[in-house]
Amino acid sequence: MPLLEARNLRKTYRLGRRNTVEALRGVNVTIEPGEMVAIMGPSGSGKSTLMHILGLLHAPDPNHGPAPELTFDGQDIGRLSDGQRTKLRARRMGFVFQDFNLIPTLTAIENVMLACDYSGRTGKAARAAALEALDLVGLSHRAGHRSTELSGGEQQRVAIARALVNQPALVLADEPTGNLDSARSGEILGLLRRLNQENGQTFILVTHDPEVAEACDRVINVRDGLVAHERKIAGRESEDELAA
Amino acid sequence: MKTIRNLTRRKLRTGLTVTGITVGIWALVVFGSMGNKISTLVDGGSQYYADKVVVSQSSLYSTTAAPLSISAVAQLRAIAGVAAVNPEITMMMDDGPQSGSMVMPAMILGYTPGADQGYDHFKTLIAQGRELTAADEGSKVVVLGSDLALKYRKVPGQTMAIRGETFTVVGIREPTLTAPDTCAVVPLSEAQKLYFKTLPSIVRANIQAQEVVTSVVVYPKAGAAPADVAAAIKQTLPELTTMTGADFDKQIGGSVGMLNSILIGIGLISLVVGGLSVINTMAMSVAERTREIGIKRAIGASRGRVLRELVIEAALIGFAGGLIGLALGALVVTLANDAGRSSGTVLFLLTPNTALTAVTFSTILGAIAGFVPALHAARLDPVSALRYE
Repeated sequence: MPLLEARNLRKTYRLGRRNTVEALRGVNVTIEPGEMVAIMGPSGSGKSTLMHILGLLHAPDPNHGPAPELTFDGQDIGRLSDGQRTKLRARRMGFVFQDFNLIPTLTAIENVMLACDYSGRTGKAARAAALEALDLVGLSHRAGHRSTELSGGEQQRVAIARALVNQPALVLADEPTGNLDSARSGEILGLLRRLNQENGQTFILVTHDPEVAEACDRVINVRDGLVAHERKIAGRESEDELAA
Repeated sequence: MKTIRNLTRRKLRTGLTVTGITVGIWALVVFGSMGNKISTLVDGGSQYYADKVVVSQSSLYSTTAAPLSISAVAQLRAIAGVAAVNPEITMMMDDGPQSGSMVMPAMILGYTPGADQGYDHFKTLIAQGRELTAADEGSKVVVLGSDLALKYRKVPGQTMAIRGETFTVVGIREPTLTAPDTCAVVPLSEAQKLYFKTLPSIVRANIQAQEVVTSVVVYPKAGAAPADVAAAIKQTLPELTTMTGADFDKQIGGSVGMLNSILIGIGLISLVVGGLSVINTMAMSVAERTREIGIKRAIGASRGRVLRELVIEAALIGFAGGLIGLALGALVVTLANDAGRSSGTVLFLLTPNTALTAVTFSTILGAIAGFVPALHAARLDPVSALRYE
């Protein structure tokens, strides 16, 4: 059973009274559990919109053409309320953003604990989980520092810890290396790959960096609101098998 | 903790907003304390008048009454339902512009202790020395109210000049926070002499000092309603004015209620201004933190959660302003009372109830003012909030 299955995703944004943008025009996507998938495409192709819908930040348009279908882990999530989508995001999904998006007033560990808090875990359990997640990204020694005291690479690692702390089934990353130099970028990519392989978590990476795409199992190319083509990265499966 | 950190991010802005609330609460505390003082005075009056009918010649609002012939006393005593009568002199302690309290002027009260035959239920306690007795008749002795004792710095045994005569202080009352605090009680005959001196010579030519009183306190018999007794008095002696507890409550209570409303109103207006500045602060805070709210919503904070965090933040601003306002208000009230006591001007009474109301009110005000910006924040679309620069 696929982890995430989407059919007929459409999204039209209304920018003004007569100015609408068809961001998605009927997209079908299937994500298998344990996969690391890159969504690629030029600016304005609809890749971000696709990620927002897959990550339950937005709902697909319900009534343009064929009805959209969206299932996550066997559950129909196409018509959830905002509250239900929020709860699912908090408990089953993790998010990593291009510009890290840590809360500047909080320390590293507090940022990670915030995600625990939203999923219903507080107090000592949350602290322990947050420390463990920071350890996983190699930053437990920086737990008490505020994000302004951390380098870009470190901030992104904290963000990854925050995304992973609830052991989500799916991690969505929007240009996770976009704001990092190539050395840090490689580090982060290696970290994501390692977490994917060691924990079996599913990753969706939105990127326009071919190097990032090459590190994934599969690449979905989006263009003009449609999936232009998909391809598997050669040799990945055998590599996975070797790693296993 | 996190809330406080958020508030200290913009120290100047938070500080100014807190100051806004502080001013409002300060005004509420000070004016509220003034209102309390007035209410206490009125309650004291209400209690004083509860069991009696005060008969005088003049209108109710003049504190220095026109003389009332002592011959009326016998007529009053004969009226059905009257148990006891106590002729009194009440007069200002000083002439001219009031040197006494704005709230209650310093008064001289002359009466005969025991004349009420135990019908008077309004009791005051003696702090030092002794109460006046019937045996003091004929001697120049005085029992001072607590504010007067402080004002003139007198203890029992010392002497003081009252309207040119020298009196020996024999007792000082416990503070009552109401009219007796600014009252000097002397034997009736001494008060009559003092009062007689103030009368125009044409009046003095036709009357003896011991024949004048300013009012007569009439005590109804058990079971006789003060209103009925007052009506009977008006029938027999139509030239006299009567005042019962009900009259007092109606006339004085009504106007005091109005004054209190005005005082509280002034405080509330300043708080509305404070509340608006909380709305402004929180709206700016939400705008500044749009992106942060987007992050929180994206990683799983519910709308209710965002709403709650911001409302608590706003409530905290209100609470801080309330506490500081209360502290400053209490300081002003205490300083003003201390400064005023030496001149007999005790204007304020800060009750725990006022204090608690002020802080609770400011906290709730903060929360309500923060609600609209918080609701706006909670309804933000997480994706557009994330893109907000």
